[in-house]
Amino acid sequence: MEAYLLAIAIFVAIFTLLTLGLNLQYGLTGLTNFGLVGFFGIGAYASAILTTHGYPVVAGFAAGAALAVIAAWPIGLVALRLRDDYFAIATLGLSEVVRVAIISEKELTAGVQGIPGIPRLFAVLESRTWQPLLLLAVLVAANLGVVLVMRRIARSPFGRVIGAIRDNEEAVRALGKDPARFKTQVLMVGAGLSAVAGSFYAHYVGYVTPDQITPLVTFQIWMAMILGGTGRISGAVLGTLLLMLLIEGARFLPDLLPFVSSTAMAELRVFVVGLALVLFTVYRPQGLMGEVARR
Amino acid sequence: MRFDRRQTLRLMAAGTLAAGLPRGASAQAEEFRVGALCPVTGAGATFGAGMQKTIIATAARINAAGGAAGRTFRVFADDDQTQPQAGVLAAKKLLEVNRVQAILGTWSSGVSLAVIPLTNEAGAILMNTSGAPALSVPPANAKHLSYRFQATNDRFGRAFAQIAAREGFKRPATMAFNNASGIGNTEGFAKAWKAQGGSLTKAVVYEPNQPSYRSELQSVLDTKPDVIVMGSYVADTAIILREWYQTGATTKFILPDWAVNASTIASLGEDVLSNCITVESVANEGSPAFADFDALYRKEMGAPGRGNNYAAMAYDMMVLLALAVEAAGPGADVAAINARIIPLSGPDGEVVSSFAQGRDALKAGRTINYDGASSVLDLDQYGDVTPDFGAYKFNGKSFERKYIVKI
Repeated sequence: MEAYLLAIAIFVAIFTLLTLGLNLQYGLTGLTNFGLVGFFGIGAYASAILTTHGYPVVAGFAAGAALAVIAAWPIGLVALRLRDDYFAIATLGLSEVVRVAIISEKELTAGVQGIPGIPRLFAVLESRTWQPLLLLAVLVAANLGVVLVMRRIARSPFGRVIGAIRDNEEAVRALGKDPARFKTQVLMVGAGLSAVAGSFYAHYVGYVTPDQITPLVTFQIWMAMILGGTGRISGAVLGTLLLMLLIEGARFLPDLLPFVSSTAMAELRVFVVGLALVLFTVYRPQGLMGEVARR
Repeated sequence: MRFDRRQTLRLMAAGTLAAGLPRGASAQAEEFRVGALCPVTGAGATFGAGMQKTIIATAARINAAGGAAGRTFRVFADDDQTQPQAGVLAAKKLLEVNRVQAILGTWSSGVSLAVIPLTNEAGAILMNTSGAPALSVPPANAKHLSYRFQATNDRFGRAFAQIAAREGFKRPATMAFNNASGIGNTEGFAKAWKAQGGSLTKAVVYEPNQPSYRSELQSVLDTKPDVIVMGSYVADTAIILREWYQTGATTKFILPDWAVNASTIASLGEDVLSNCITVESVANEGSPAFADFDALYRKEMGAPGRGNNYAAMAYDMMVLLALAVEAAGPGADVAAINARIIPLSGPDGEVVSSFAQGRDALKAGRTINYDGASSVLDLDQYGDVTPDFGAYKFNGKSFERKYIVKI
């Protein structure tokens, strides 16, 4: 049981990093990034490729984050011209470009076959309890660090500007600020964070394929953020936890409801998660942690 | 009705506690615990539910027949959602919470490759229906605990090469759908064909979901092949064959059987299809095991068993595992049971086609060879099945088996 709970906790921590990145982009700045998984994929593949070729783990993390930041920069330029829906479509497109590029670059990425055998983090610890515990501790520390930095950002002059961009971009421009510059910076930071999450993911699952970087991941992160409360940093953490508990908790339903066949239950689970989301938007539209609707 | 934050949090906390309550996973000594981890949702959903129900029903039937070596089988079912990450969590739950000793029925290569480190670590058996070559060899299968009931794409390719040689083709080209399975087929063919001393005129990989494949097709036809070997699926195959017919070329096609279905036959007609040879790993149709499986599948799913070859594999997994438990004797551990699996699958020994028959023969001290519903199994040293392949040609109504090749 412990190992299973640890596995859930590790996935929650990895996805919380993604949700925090998205929260910075959408919740705080109002950037509708539907291409989150693209940056996640860049991180995952950078780590997978470098570590399976014998480079140290740190190199994978660094290269992934650097590449994602570089990839986010032109998107920032696009963001100068596109807003809201158009920007969302452009980012969705970017994530698909990343996926197709990975499929096509067979020499480097093994294409659709994927890369197996990515080394685990802290594999020197042979123990099946201590290795995941240490990984979880590192992930929690990373999340805490990110949360602290986000809080600082949100309360800094920079944070007030991006908040103003979210609320009224024209007004910000009228005040003599350049929204594009701020948006680009936010995008690049969020992209780097997503890539770090991707690296952790690759090392934990041990196997990456292009199938893992589909837009579905992006939308799960969006769900987590909406459940938690858009714009709230604590919401990002709790939302991810709640989403994973909904998805994983449903695994235990067959034990509780023996009269439903377990095969039907698997199908029901998707329904349960969807229903929870609908109920949330009806009864708690501001999310778990959102106290006031700010928009 | 609106909840404020405190109420919401309180509700969530209560829900979490309720969900996390430990519930009875009390292990009985006389029980062998099996996880049925199938793709009930996601890309594999067409097959997953049938596979899972087959495993559950087969285990129930084995239990009704008295179990194996004094043990009964208890199946814990879960859904891998055809996603590696969901598969990892489901496998952890099965291994840690339900303490299963074997996981049966992972379908996609991505899921199997993500689950196999966990089963290895736990010393549990994994039986899958995935095509990826990486599954057979270390590091994935370093402990020889994993078995594959589906012919690898590579073996399909080798069967294609034999059939092409037998049909007297000299200048083959290949066209593959850009995924692991499509490319696996054509690359397997290319490797085997070159080993026979042949060469390809052209090898094209195409992106899926196009309305037309004319430019890819034309680039292949320009090299004047006498046969095009395909690694394709239903939708793209129908378009490619139609466009090929419009060009008036006289090439032939060798296709995997899953690329052609009833609607392809209805929409394309004899002029096109008489130029095609389809290749199928011969499910043991006509064998008693297949008849057993078919009856069980019809009862569970209300559909004929030949529509879901993966369910036939799932059936064989459960039967072979139960026979291994029987052969290893009462109280045997997983390692001892695992050691029995490959010998029981054949090819040596008295042929048996059901659990009851096999158990009785084992009790009488005879060596047995279980010939399954999905194939004759005959697992090799890597735990891969070695099925026979059939070459099928169009007879005006349907594809009819002409001959069988062994690889």
